[in-house]
Amino acid sequence: MTLEQSIEHYAGTAPERTALVCGEQTLSYSALWEAIVRKEEELRGEGLKAGRPYIWRSSGDCLFVVTYCAVHRLGAIAVPLEQGAPEESFLAIKRQTEAQTYAPGISDILYTTGTTGQSKGVMLSETALCSCADNFINAFGFDSGLCMIVSGPLNHIASLFKIHPTLTAGGAVCIINGLRDPNLFFEALELPFDGFAAFLVPASIHILLSFSAQRLTSHSGKIRFIETGAAPISSADMAALAECLPHSDLWNTLGGTEFGAVCTYNFNDGRYMEGCIGRPMKNSTVEVDAEGSISISGPTLMSGYVADPESSAKVLKDGVLRISDRGFVDEDGLIHLTGRADDVINVGGFKIDPVEVENAAGSHPDIEDCLCVAAAHPLLGTVLKLLVVPKQGRSLDKRSIALHIKARLEPYKIPTYYEAVPSIKRTFNGKADRKAYRLGL
Amino acid sequence: MKDHIREILTDALPAVDFDADFLFSELDSLGVLSILTILSKEYGIELGAEDISPRNFRNLDSLTSLVKSKL
Repeated sequence: MTLEQSIEHYAGTAPERTALVCGEQTLSYSALWEAIVRKEEELRGEGLKAGRPYIWRSSGDCLFVVTYCAVHRLGAIAVPLEQGAPEESFLAIKRQTEAQTYAPGISDILYTTGTTGQSKGVMLSETALCSCADNFINAFGFDSGLCMIVSGPLNHIASLFKIHPTLTAGGAVCIINGLRDPNLFFEALELPFDGFAAFLVPASIHILLSFSAQRLTSHSGKIRFIETGAAPISSADMAALAECLPHSDLWNTLGGTEFGAVCTYNFNDGRYMEGCIGRPMKNSTVEVDAEGSISISGPTLMSGYVADPESSAKVLKDGVLRISDRGFVDEDGLIHLTGRADDVINVGGFKIDPVEVENAAGSHPDIEDCLCVAAAHPLLGTVLKLLVVPKQGRSLDKRSIALHIKARLEPYKIPTYYEAVPSIKRTFNGKADRKAYRLGL
Repeated sequence: MKDHIREILTDALPAVDFDADFLFSELDSLGVLSILTILSKEYGIELGAEDISPRNFRNLDSLTSLVKSKL
């Protein structure tokens, strides 16, 4: 059953049951269904047609879910963008997606980091979305008494793909906009549901452990599971979270826009193995070869990138998708990640191509040359650092550069650290020597 | 104190306008966490999740008042 069919089903069988909560707004299944049908009519009136893309900025509230489902019901393709997506990116994506025709069955296009400085549109079929929801339901045990707290951006797979299994199983989704105010997370735990679950990126877990560990412990009986992923979580944070929530399942999942959620590991096992992503989920096959390359197959895989058959063919061949992470399988059959084989930098679960940041910063009038690298932050793990070679007679004005980037890219792509350097190391053919910077040479 | 707070916070979060009157809406979770951490270290005070509110993070004046109340 699709997400929309499930909502329609519960609107008939359990109309008063809560489906969505966001701030002061609560929507029952029947109210959600009515809103979806109204929105569908509105979109039809605006001229949206089946098989065509609908691009909009995520509003981070109930309206997002209503719009997302209405687009699907109309047979159109949902293209949700970051809430703060700059106008330039929005228009570029609109032009790109509207210029294409799509194979039948494509439901979503999610924009993710590319490897050439441009974001890529990942095409996902209805089958992929349903199979991914089924992976989650089978692994974590979603049911009608569960309230899933979603705190990340709703256009991101980590949040969006939690809405699917939760509502498919007849549970409720509580939307909070980030953990900027952790009090909202704890207020959500006071809502009248049998049990709670949440997806939290490792940085959010660290925030809760740093400032609210006792409060988290006081809610331990209510929390069925916490899922993390998207970025590495430290063994110390795994152990600290397990101490707060000794009876909860604590999952570390391998997920990606191109392949869905495919592998997961319950780290509340006393071992707290960093990098471990456990075993493949129900509908997925994950294999690691002798060199550490990871390949994934199964119905959760993307259909390809929008308008980029070359890049699609590079990662997806004969129904098998190769990812950039490297790994190994231990003697118990558990899969472990050991790092990435490309230049993409993972900041709090957002995978950022450094070239995109460099291109945006490079147009600043004071910058001669620059390079974006990963840097360690004492609390947040990996953050971005911009090495800047100022033009002659100019100095490093990090506020001016940060604002310059802010006007061009999403907020999470703004570097945290800035450093003036005399030059950028380059290889013999003129490319930035990223390897040297990764090794700290 | 207010000017010093502006200086150290702008240094850590250069893209944030600390003279805005709705500062909280400018921040993400990383920004809030950074401010809590920086202020607690700089002034040797204890700040926790209960101190995070749109009221305390409204502008530089309210952040300065928050610090003063903890000294």
